[in-house]
Amino acid sequence: MSQDKIDMLQRALAREKAARKQAEKILENKAAELYEAKRKLEKSYSELEALLNKTDSQLQGVFENIVDAYVIMDLWGNILKMNNAAVDLLGFTDASENGNLMDMVHPTDLELVAETFKNLLSEGSVTDSNFKIVTKQKIEKLVHVNASIIYDEGQPVAAQGIVRDITEINSLQIQKEKLLEKLEKSNNELQEYAHIVSHDLKSPLRSIDALVNWIKEDNLEKLDDTSIQNFNLIETTLEKMEQLISDVLMYSSVGSESLEKQTVDLDALIKELKNILFVPDHVSINVLQPLPKIEGEKVKLQQLFQNLISNAIKFIDKDVGLVEIDVKDIGTHYEFSIKDNGIGIEEKFHEKIFKIFHALNKSKDSTGIGLSIVKKIVDLHEGHIWLESKPNMGTTFFFTLKK
Amino acid sequence: MINIRETMNTLNILLIEDDMIEVMKLNRTISKLELPHNIVEANNGEEALKILQKKDELPDIILLDLNMPKLNGIEFLNILKKDDVLKYIPTIILTTSNNQKDLLECYRIGIAGYVLKPLKYEDYVSKIETLLGYWSINELKQI
Repeated sequence: MSQDKIDMLQRALAREKAARKQAEKILENKAAELYEAKRKLEKSYSELEALLNKTDSQLQGVFENIVDAYVIMDLWGNILKMNNAAVDLLGFTDASENGNLMDMVHPTDLELVAETFKNLLSEGSVTDSNFKIVTKQKIEKLVHVNASIIYDEGQPVAAQGIVRDITEINSLQIQKEKLLEKLEKSNNELQEYAHIVSHDLKSPLRSIDALVNWIKEDNLEKLDDTSIQNFNLIETTLEKMEQLISDVLMYSSVGSESLEKQTVDLDALIKELKNILFVPDHVSINVLQPLPKIEGEKVKLQQLFQNLISNAIKFIDKDVGLVEIDVKDIGTHYEFSIKDNGIGIEEKFHEKIFKIFHALNKSKDSTGIGLSIVKKIVDLHEGHIWLESKPNMGTTFFFTLKK
Repeated sequence: MINIRETMNTLNILLIEDDMIEVMKLNRTISKLELPHNIVEANNGEEALKILQKKDELPDIILLDLNMPKLNGIEFLNILKKDDVLKYIPTIILTTSNNQKDLLECYRIGIAGYVLKPLKYEDYVSKIETLLGYWSINELKQI
């Protein structure tokens, strides 16, 4: 062997020795760490044991007093322990009786429970599982179960579950849904009915109007002024009648048609209304500050402002009419006010005017339904409506709308 | 400038309406306005379908009331729009019902207009004048 080769091997040997020394050192450190960890584990284990002993009596109390049924079973469903609530729920006579929970599952839900049990084993717990059982007394019950696996040294040994009888809650829920469905149906029917009635009432009015017109047209030379005037009165009466039918339909529609809420820009809405409404030259409508955007139904909010503003305009008797719209942020709601300098409303009528068919001033263009529609719309937006008024000075309507 | 009246088409109108006075109203309106159009009357949807069986005498437009006994307006419309020939006839609803549900349903099935019958006869006359004026300047399918 050449000297070179010997040197090389010696160097390799030296390297290996050093590496081994290092490994030994690491091993030594690890052993020390391991020992320390074991010591800590032992300490916490004994602490845990002490705690367990201490809390065991407390747990026993909880176990007995818990309102829900509490069951501990082995992994095959055999009941190991149960509290009094569980005895009652499952139909046993006392807690020492033997039973298997799997045997109590209703045949229709067996598959579901098997699946749930598989999940319980793989996940360690299941929550909000609902299935039907048949109690020892042969009573069917719907139960709600939350369960978890009990482990011993990392191995699953048993399962514990809290079982609640939801048979009644469930049937109440079903009943409630049925009632709601029925209510919706009858609401729709009512709505449909209102439309049909309104159609059937309006048709004869249209016919009368046409017939009156024809008689007038065909006999223009033969009729005297009084007769012409009387014919005109018939037409006015028909118009009033039609308005009444429209308003009743509108009143019954508010609240029953779709409740699609959207963000409504009230500033834009008022601007639009000013174009639609007939505002006499001597009346000005002022919006005192920018109006907010609120969540609501646009058509109904428009109806609300339209009715109040046109009411304000209608009852202005001054040479310079003024309608002022203002708003105040009051937390959960906005408080709006619509103020006019019209004829005012006596205090004794302040409640009455919101009731249907209570027009204070019988005239061609008031049917007594406008304000009751207003009230219904405000109610629909979870608000209130009231007014302040002095006869001859004017009226301010206040109302709140939910933001 | 051309004289609009002279370029107007004479329309064959099928009026489907169960109310006798409504039928009288349309007839009287047309004669009052001295319009050249022809009106064929049907008292309900069933009768209208019978009239529409004669494929060589189909109307140019249909005026359709919604609330009718037997076959109502919407049912009639459904049948009409499923027919390969009849579906081309412009159908205008002439009704009292401003029920949004009816209106949406009609437009969904396919209509050429939705006109509310007004209370006042004069308003009716001017609505019909506008409506027929519009359709008589339209190019219609030659059947």
